[in-house]
Amino acid sequence: MVHNLKNSLVLPLSIITPIDIGRIIREVEDLKIYVEQVNLRKEDLKMPKFSRLLDNLVELNNLKLNNKSNLDDLLVNINNIKLKSPVVHVSFSVDPSVLFLERITAWFRQEIHPTLLLTIGLQPTIGAGLIVRTNNKYFDFSLRQQLVLARKNFVKIIEAV
Amino acid sequence: MTIWWLLVLIGLIIFIGFCFIYIVINLKPSSHTKQELNDETINGSIDNIFNDEFREELRNRGRLHFEKIITENAVFLQQDLQLTTSQLNDYMKTEITQKLQNEFTKYQESFTDAKQLTVEAIQKTNDAINEQRETLNLEVQKQIEVEKKQLIDRFENNMASIVNHYVLEAIGNQIDLNDQLEYILTELEANKKAMIEDITSGT
Repeated sequence: MVHNLKNSLVLPLSIITPIDIGRIIREVEDLKIYVEQVNLRKEDLKMPKFSRLLDNLVELNNLKLNNKSNLDDLLVNINNIKLKSPVVHVSFSVDPSVLFLERITAWFRQEIHPTLLLTIGLQPTIGAGLIVRTNNKYFDFSLRQQLVLARKNFVKIIEAV
Repeated sequence: MTIWWLLVLIGLIIFIGFCFIYIVINLKPSSHTKQELNDETINGSIDNIFNDEFREELRNRGRLHFEKIITENAVFLQQDLQLTTSQLNDYMKTEITQKLQNEFTKYQESFTDAKQLTVEAIQKTNDAINEQRETLNLEVQKQIEVEKKQLIDRFENNMASIVNHYVLEAIGNQIDLNDQLEYILTELEANKKAMIEDITSGT
């Protein structure tokens, strides 16, 4: 496993893509503004209802978001994740379910990097399996690639028939 | 004195010459007259002998003799003419036959040569056609082999793609991602090291 971030957050499996990170950042920034305004008005702080992503993040990391410093730390950490976390692109033949994506994400974060983010693509021509594209490499685990690799054997079988 | 004698001598010679000329001139008419007299005598005798009857008889004889000679000559001429005509005919016949024979021989030779040339040309043309046909056959055979190989190669290359496409179209939507999870995780596990190296390289 690779660990690059200090005081890094543990990302829940529901946060998968950089888009999810962007949503978290915007939501935290809005929350920070809200907290600041409440503090300025010296009113009682009533925390708004969080989104499912932020709720999972808070719950998983035992975060307290009722003061500005915590929110600032969270923003710093999330921005660090956004800037420094590796992003891997994976493509499937059909639109994957959330549960399936969470299993794939869990494997990547357990085996590759704990804050790894995925971008999801759709390639119906691959038939089955998936295609993984990292910074410099391309891994084709699709059924199409398996059929292409087995073409010589396939031709021999056809000729034998 | 000598000159005088010389002149007298010359005058004498001239005189004698004149005298001789005169004598000669005066003697000629007398001989001519005798000859004329003889001629007249002879003419008179001839007229007596060759009178009109005798002349007519001689004329008749001469006419008959002339006719006889003419007839004989005509016969000879006719015979010669017939002989000449016959010889001429034979000659012409022989010459024409020979000429025609020569011409026919030449014509036959020319015809034979032309026939030979034509046969040779036809033979050459046939040989060329046969050679061309063989070359064409080889070329066509070669092209067919190339085309066949291309078709087989194209079939082999595209067959896998076609079958792949068909298989993907047929079963692609039938395979659930959850069913593929085990296979996907196995493949990811097999390539985990390469992924980590690529990610940690930082490029």
